[in-house]
Amino acid sequence: MHSTFPLKLSYQPNHPQITNAGMNQEVTNGASKSKRNSKKPEYSRFTQQELPAWKPILTPGWVITSFLAIAMLFIPIGLVSLFASERVVEIVYRYDQDCVPEMYRGNVTSYIQNPLTNKTCIKNVTVPKKMAAPIFVYYQLDNFYQNHRRYVKSRSDKQLRNADDAFSTKGCEPEAKLSGNEPIVPCGLIAWSLFNDTYNLIMQKKSLDINKKGIAWKSDTKVKFGSNVFPKNFQSGSLIGGGKLNQSIPLSEQEDLIVWMRTAALPTFRKLYGRINRDLEAHETITVVLENNYNTYSFGGQKKLVLSTTSWIGGKNDFLGIAYLTVGGICLFMALNFILLYVFKPRPLGDPSYLSWNRNASRH
Amino acid sequence: MHHSSLRKRVVAVFDRFKLSWIFTLLLLLKNTPAIFYPLWLLIVTDNSQHQSPNTLQDSSSEGEIRSKTWSANSVFVNLGSKRLSHGSRGGATDSEAFSMSHREINVEDARLVYVNDALKTNERFEFAGNSIRTAKYSVLSFLPRNLFEQFHRVAYIYFLIIAILNQLPQLAVFGRGASILPLSVVLLVTAVKDAYEDWRRHKSDRIENNRMSSVLVNDRFKQKKCKDIQVGEIIKFSADDTIPSDIVLLSTSDPTGVAYIQTINLDGESNLKTRYAKQETLSRTPEKDMINGIIKCEKPNRNIYGFHATMEIDGKHLSLGPSNIVLRGCVLKNTNWAIGVVVYAGRETKAMLNSSGAPSKRSRLETRMNREIILLSLFLVALCTAVSICAGVWLREHENELEFLQFYRKKDYSQPQVKNYNYSGLGVEVFFTFLMSVIVFQIMIPISLYISMELVRVGQAYFMIRDDKMYDEMSNSRFQCRALNINEDLGQIKYVFSDKTGTLTENKMEFKHASIFGVDYSGENIDSDGYFIQVNGHVWRPKMKVKVDKELLELSKIGNNSKDSKWIYDFFLSLAACNTIVPIVIDTSNPDEKLIDYQGESPDEQALVYAAAAYGFMLMERTSGHIVIDIQGERQRFNVLGMHEFDSDRKRMSVILGFPNGTVKVIVKGADTSMFTIIDKSVNSDVTRATETHLNSYSSIGLRTLVVGIRELSVPEFEHWQSAYETASTAVNGRVALLRKVAVNLETDLEIVGASAIEDRLQTGVPEAIESLRKADIKVWVLTGDKQETAISIGYSSRLLTSNMTQIVINCNTKMSCGKSLEDGLIMCTNLDVTPVALIIDGTSLVYILDSDLEEQLFQLASNCTVVLCCRVAPLQKAGIVALIKNRTDDMTLAIGDGANDVSMIQMADVGIGISGQEGRQAVMASDFAMGQFRFLVPLLLVHGHWNYQRMGYMILYNFYRNAVFVLVLFWYVLFTGFTLTTAITEWSSVLYSVLYTSVPTIVIAILDKDLSRRSLLAYPQLYGAGQRHESYNAKLFWLTIADTLWQSIVVFYVPLFAYWKTDIDGSSVGDLWTLAVVFLVNIHLAMDVVRWTWVSHASIWGSILVTCVCVVAIDVIPVLPGYWAIFELASKESFWICLLGIQIAAVVPRFGIKMYVQHCEPSDIQIAREAEKFGNLIEPTTQEIEMNSTRR
Repeated sequence: MHSTFPLKLSYQPNHPQITNAGMNQEVTNGASKSKRNSKKPEYSRFTQQELPAWKPILTPGWVITSFLAIAMLFIPIGLVSLFASERVVEIVYRYDQDCVPEMYRGNVTSYIQNPLTNKTCIKNVTVPKKMAAPIFVYYQLDNFYQNHRRYVKSRSDKQLRNADDAFSTKGCEPEAKLSGNEPIVPCGLIAWSLFNDTYNLIMQKKSLDINKKGIAWKSDTKVKFGSNVFPKNFQSGSLIGGGKLNQSIPLSEQEDLIVWMRTAALPTFRKLYGRINRDLEAHETITVVLENNYNTYSFGGQKKLVLSTTSWIGGKNDFLGIAYLTVGGICLFMALNFILLYVFKPRPLGDPSYLSWNRNASRH
Repeated sequence: MHHSSLRKRVVAVFDRFKLSWIFTLLLLLKNTPAIFYPLWLLIVTDNSQHQSPNTLQDSSSEGEIRSKTWSANSVFVNLGSKRLSHGSRGGATDSEAFSMSHREINVEDARLVYVNDALKTNERFEFAGNSIRTAKYSVLSFLPRNLFEQFHRVAYIYFLIIAILNQLPQLAVFGRGASILPLSVVLLVTAVKDAYEDWRRHKSDRIENNRMSSVLVNDRFKQKKCKDIQVGEIIKFSADDTIPSDIVLLSTSDPTGVAYIQTINLDGESNLKTRYAKQETLSRTPEKDMINGIIKCEKPNRNIYGFHATMEIDGKHLSLGPSNIVLRGCVLKNTNWAIGVVVYAGRETKAMLNSSGAPSKRSRLETRMNREIILLSLFLVALCTAVSICAGVWLREHENELEFLQFYRKKDYSQPQVKNYNYSGLGVEVFFTFLMSVIVFQIMIPISLYISMELVRVGQAYFMIRDDKMYDEMSNSRFQCRALNINEDLGQIKYVFSDKTGTLTENKMEFKHASIFGVDYSGENIDSDGYFIQVNGHVWRPKMKVKVDKELLELSKIGNNSKDSKWIYDFFLSLAACNTIVPIVIDTSNPDEKLIDYQGESPDEQALVYAAAAYGFMLMERTSGHIVIDIQGERQRFNVLGMHEFDSDRKRMSVILGFPNGTVKVIVKGADTSMFTIIDKSVNSDVTRATETHLNSYSSIGLRTLVVGIRELSVPEFEHWQSAYETASTAVNGRVALLRKVAVNLETDLEIVGASAIEDRLQTGVPEAIESLRKADIKVWVLTGDKQETAISIGYSSRLLTSNMTQIVINCNTKMSCGKSLEDGLIMCTNLDVTPVALIIDGTSLVYILDSDLEEQLFQLASNCTVVLCCRVAPLQKAGIVALIKNRTDDMTLAIGDGANDVSMIQMADVGIGISGQEGRQAVMASDFAMGQFRFLVPLLLVHGHWNYQRMGYMILYNFYRNAVFVLVLFWYVLFTGFTLTTAITEWSSVLYSVLYTSVPTIVIAILDKDLSRRSLLAYPQLYGAGQRHESYNAKLFWLTIADTLWQSIVVFYVPLFAYWKTDIDGSSVGDLWTLAVVFLVNIHLAMDVVRWTWVSHASIWGSILVTCVCVVAIDVIPVLPGYWAIFELASKESFWICLLGIQIAAVVPRFGIKMYVQHCEPSDIQIAREAEKFGNLIEPTTQEIEMNSTRR
């Protein structure tokens, strides 16, 4: 009688057991062993690894078909994307250099940090092509690491959501509390560095309305930022990082803050400033009156104002279109190559003469 | 044993077995307790090698009685003689060969047991009580101990260090929960499993400890709980009792002090073994007259076949050996009662010391894999260094701005004193960045791979165990996986070393022919009705039927009156008497019928006794003093006056029988070579010649032969012998040598009676299996203890040797001639070139070749030969031959055997397989895998081995890829975050990636995917070559995988980067995109490589993708996480879908293209076979033959 060790995973105590071995050895007349004792594994398709299976083999036909299929799919998508991107009209105006008065060019930092200097700056931009509404107004920052580790973590989502959690400022240091242990709401570096340049657009002497409602995600205004949370002690420290907030408006309605607090993924990013809900005709001139408050000078960042229409693919970006065309093209090329390969160097599928031992044998 | 000598010996052993030394170290790392078993074995085997090479080399000549069992001893303790011996006089199996018997046991090494004085024995509290504890933990110790044991794995320590690092506020990359979760899940699952197992152990411990046994207390036997038994106490047990501790026998119900025990719980052998009480104690009844004595014995050790002690009783010194001790777990049988004194109790018993787990080895694939793991670690270090250097440069460049930088803000102004916030200088920041990047990139080292591998191996083992093609009907045994670490090694075997008896053959001995006094009775054997006798109205039959020769049967009935039939009478009487078989009467379902079961340790002897019974010489009873044989219906009692054990020097045994008529005869039975030297050739020389001719013809058809001789002793001769025998067997020192001398003096001038021939049938399917293995380019070597002629004939019948082979036979007696033969052989080999060569070499030659400078030549020669047949080899030589190949090549070796003599070889080889057959379980115990039949080797290697290797190889590479691609995606992002370790992918996704998102398909595919069907693998054994050539895992594949990984990670990362550059995309959204993209990608990558799509593979792959989506969504609906609702915002834009699709296709196109190109232009054998399988143009139905049990020879 053999004891099996099922996988030997579970330890079988080596305890003596009274066994009747010797008795169940074969008896001369071959008394059949009871079925009950048989350890024969029960047959099932699973245990015998014979489950029904689909065994795809990529025959030349399939290979060519799949390459062609990819090409057929990708080239049109690429073309459509490229076309969509081409139709997007975009005005990008970098103003961070232009908006510093000549006299301060030598010492930009002191200009920007001085609250008393006049930051207003008036510039003109021209609409290159007709732009259909809605036109999105963005500000673009370059070289600003909103994804910097210190920065990303410096916020308290709890505090933003609920007035009762004003004191949960963990992770917000060094913008967590005032010296009197009063919590800052909203705390943390992200809120503290709120972007505070403002743009006013004037066209043909008439102000061009920028709709600043609904620029943030609905989910953020409804859930993430509390309607009973009001700014407190904000920007009241010795070091001012950026924009101030109106203490009487709850955070859920401070859409600029909400947009700003959706930290950008990449160091060059745009953030929605507002929308213009009218068409702009080609060659129209827009006068931009902007308050150049935000300090990007100290680290060599750039600020840009962007007016852009949109398409289904997003903003103006040829990358996806080109990428799709490239991949589609490569696949087409591969398909052709494989056709040639199969025509000029055919190999019957499953031909035993290609088996290594048959090849070796024939070589002898 | 002296410590110094032990050390020397250990060193010697290590020199001899360098590889095993490394292996032992590996073991030590892996599993500390397991080390002792092989180590101990090596020490002991080494002993025997040095001390008695002569005895060993012939030890397993299977033509001789009991040789197998004898060699079983030799492996373990090299006992020079049999355990069974005559009465208490011979009972001391103290052997001179056993190295320690002459040495006095050192006082400090000994344990002193005062018989029947437990108080005094235990006064120093140094001996364990009898309560046993297999449970590892108590309620209190569970947590610390279990954790401690779990952290023996390096992987867990790595996990832990990373988790601890992450707890430091400066380094906290992940939140507390996220960083500890994976480790704690793994720990918890393991802990629960351990706790459950331990609870079961507790339960069985309790039952075990509370068993009652009867203990002598104040001159009375009282019932006492098993756990309260102490060393020194005398206990009494009756038939069918399980022995509660290791006990030295004092007396038994048998007047000569014999006790029969069954050791099935100890070594799995079901036959009865005999143990003896010492003559000096057996007549005492402990209740009446006190037995006071001191037993001085060895410290507890694991050797279940060795025991060495002395007993001082009534001023006499007696030596005690393994035949005087009964071990815990044995069962007393056929003996009414026995009394003994406890020498080892509880955890110090040999059974408990041996209850450790299976041997553990490390697979070749894993060893190779470790090389790549080191590369990956270097790669990890490189990534981290790059990140920290870049971070340092960035900080230095921005040093002046940091204080006011909106996204850095070095200073904290909220306190009156302005301090640095979270900034401790450039150097420290760089260092922290390094540590943080290690935390972020931790899964570059695929720790989960080790856990996956274990799970996969469990799955593979499950399928191997459940394979009904590897179930043995005869022994009702399934395939067993004893070692779980080396499944994939089965797919890379290049050499198979096989034992013959019991492995290639059935080891069911069948009496075939007899040559009696020069007459060959090898006519047709017929089925007889079976001989039976009447005893008290019952019919007694032998348990096994034997086919008989009709003519001989008639002749045997005549009796010993006529001249011719006298020899027949003597012949069968010799067979019935000259052995150590114990007849046991068992009841059958029919109350009138009883069966006689001949229990013995040698199947040859059993066969002979059954044969004698079939011809009317039925052995009915054996005690130490007499035997009763029913001769043609007439019961006769013979006194057994003495018995000379089988030993390998003499290669024969003899018994001195007192006949009812008063004559005394010595009957000798032994191997032909030894017997012909002591047969008086002056008389009946023609008979001797005829017998020799018959013997040659027997052995040439593969039969095992024995020669029987007899001589009547005259009275002075007998008396002379008797006094010598008495003196020798009571001698304190050198008893074995003295006894041997007495035997040699007695065994002379014999009259030849005849010779027997026993067939050991080839197992079913062996020739086909060997054919398949050979086709698979596996070299099969047979190592046997058999005679050369027998070995060659078995070689032919098993198709190992074929007629077109040139045989090189090496049979030498000196080193010089060995060297010469080897040289000749090599020259022959090189000249012959094309024709296959078979090398046949014997044990004597190997003595001169192994461990000498000739080894290299032997290796050269052997590797040129298609077949190598080693005959008359000793157990250690078997291991030596395995080591010859193992140390010189990179090829994988497999040893398969069934007996104790194969243990050393099984442990030496990379893969050891035990046949759970007739001969006990030592081989199985030492093996990595165990199965019922040799032919299962074919499905095991060709099918399961192939699958295991393919699956494991692929899984390892895939795991590297899967983790590296994710790490690289994280790394690329770090380059765009000012070299800070920000991850756009949420910390939960980072943690769950390798635990949940991608783990299940890896494991499922690695368990279930089959590159080829069983049918094709069996039809084309050559397909096995893929494993031998390392086709599934090699450096080239690794680098290709890494290159592919690099490309794929670039695609995954940079497509969104460029697509979303200068847009208002937020970190969480793009993180979700990357998460989904990478998870989809690795699953699609896997899907491209899946060969067989069962519903399980579909479920796991598509299920994983689904689970990932669900998790990503779930994480994004938690309002307090920054990424709240990101996935929904993201998915509502077309660009997301375009990106996702583009990434998948662009990432896999190069791989797909290259794969298709290779498939077409340089197709692997597997690829062609797979196509053939699908389009069905070449599978011939050859598979059936192998699986059928049809071949009867």
